[in-house]
Amino acid sequence: MNSHLDLRDVSVSFNGFKALNSLNMSVRKGELRCLIGPNGAGKTTALDIICGKVKPSAGSVSFDGTALQELEEYEIARAGVGRKFQVPSVFRELSVSDNLEVARARRTSVFGNLRWSIGNAARNDIERLAELVGLTEQLDRPAAYLSHGQTQWLEIGMLVAQDAELILMDEPTAGMTAQETRKTAELFVRLKGKHTLIVVEHDMGFVKAIGDIISVMHMGQMLAEGTAAEVEAHPEVRRAYLGSGGISHA
Amino acid sequence: MPSNASNSSGLQRLIAQLAPLLIVSALVFALPVLLNNDFLLNKVARYLVLGILTISLGLSWGFGGILNLGQAMSFGLGSYAMAMALKLKTVPVHTGASGLPDFMVWNNVQHLPWFWEPFRSLSFAIAAGLIVPALVAAALGWFMFRGRVTGVYVSIITLATMVVINLVIIDQQSYTGGFNGITDLAQLELFGVAFDAYGRATYYLVAGCVLLSLLVAFAFTKSRAGLIVQAIRDHESRVRYFGYDVALYQIFVFALSAAIAGLAGMLYTVVMEFASPTFLGVQLSLSVVVWCAVGGRQSLVGAFLGAVLVAGMQGALSESAAFLETWTLVMGALFVLVVLFLPKGLAGLAQSTWRWVAQRRQAAGGAVARGVSQTEGST
Repeated sequence: MNSHLDLRDVSVSFNGFKALNSLNMSVRKGELRCLIGPNGAGKTTALDIICGKVKPSAGSVSFDGTALQELEEYEIARAGVGRKFQVPSVFRELSVSDNLEVARARRTSVFGNLRWSIGNAARNDIERLAELVGLTEQLDRPAAYLSHGQTQWLEIGMLVAQDAELILMDEPTAGMTAQETRKTAELFVRLKGKHTLIVVEHDMGFVKAIGDIISVMHMGQMLAEGTAAEVEAHPEVRRAYLGSGGISHA
Repeated sequence: MPSNASNSSGLQRLIAQLAPLLIVSALVFALPVLLNNDFLLNKVARYLVLGILTISLGLSWGFGGILNLGQAMSFGLGSYAMAMALKLKTVPVHTGASGLPDFMVWNNVQHLPWFWEPFRSLSFAIAAGLIVPALVAAALGWFMFRGRVTGVYVSIITLATMVVINLVIIDQQSYTGGFNGITDLAQLELFGVAFDAYGRATYYLVAGCVLLSLLVAFAFTKSRAGLIVQAIRDHESRVRYFGYDVALYQIFVFALSAAIAGLAGMLYTVVMEFASPTFLGVQLSLSVVVWCAVGGRQSLVGAFLGAVLVAGMQGALSESAAFLETWTLVMGALFVLVVLFLPKGLAGLAQSTWRWVAQRRQAAGGAVARGVSQTEGST
């Protein structure tokens, strides 16, 4: 196995409910992997396991040979894993530029951060990031005043600022307009290659626009993996989505 | 060019943010010129010290999101550190062998306890007044923040810890003076200057410490670490996923806040000329929360002024018989009103007024500015 990220027989249960049941998944370096599945399939839990929010009750998560399941959340982040949450999670009372500055976590120690000037390079970096996510006009405003779509963009910008090797995105386009979604797809395609991305999405149009390989989860297990066409033709996937009008309408 | 422009606007913003701090400090320093009354100056110095204590709470509560209901614990520890040193410098009247403090003589203590010995050195006492509260806070913070204790539980634990230390001090009468505290102290002498509680020197010492505390707290909030602490206040778990060890930042701001409170405690002993278990009492500790909320917990200057104004008002009102009994009611009502109508306190009110004025001025001058930018654009 020469994969970048490797989940082996990962299981988690919440009060007896098996959210993940022996999940296996491997992702290559630089890949953009889409993770889909019906509600309750365990997609978000899979991301929670990787970033350390939830600890597996069995199995292992290895990232470039590091066993992530043994690390604290901040150690996993330092190992190069970034996470965008389903509910946009930004620092509401801080300005947009301060949000981006916190995310640019080049140094993480307390005493290393007892400095004032953030320097010109950092400021240019933040201006470039704000331009990337279309928030140049909002740089000095508190994040609390942003619209839902803008907040999503800010969090995506924060992940780019963090410059993590592996980026986990949980429904990044929720609450975005069609145009915003298209812009997000373009950005993701640009990030692919330099970063490894795992994107949980419901919007099949978006998934087809960005994904090379799609992983389909069902009942805490990996059901199928392949290109969009392969996955859509897969009989078990069709069965899992039965009643919701097939995969494209999920 | 754009980076230069943002640089200078950043500098302007920094000056604008420092302005209230410097103006208030200048007023504090100028007061003795206007107020030629040593008794009143001593009273004001007392309120200023309480202001420093409230700045320290603003730092942990307003910026770090850690509501420490036991802030007076650090204050009391600082106060006792100074009192122990000054007690050992008193002219022996009722003292035993080698200047044994009088209350120890009354309690049949034969030798100065080991932990009193180092307080013969004033420098040690001053260092201890800062370091002991910081270390106690860091140790307490270590257990709380490593264990991810948040919100109201932090408040309960800090309050309970303070009460425990308070009871220990009262209980260990032979070593601490118990309920009476440590009284009959020598005057503080630093670099050949004697600090009489009713003298100008003491007032200026306090004023200098006000400026110092404001500047240190301000510098911290403007540092990158200060920014991360505010991010933790807004969304603690999110900060973890950027690779920051949240607990260490919380412990740091908690300890820094305790050190500033310790400084205030030491000054309080100098100004009051004694140390007492009430200095780490529940009533003072909760009052600090009210002062901080009234002044504006997210503004250092606001928190400071909140303490000086409300404590000053309390001092003035409680001298009249009518308010002596009802003062706590007034205080409670004030707290409720502020929480309901001014969540950012007086500082928030001042800020929104300032913004409103600026906007009106901008609206008036906007037409002209727009004309200029259009002509620039066309050239």
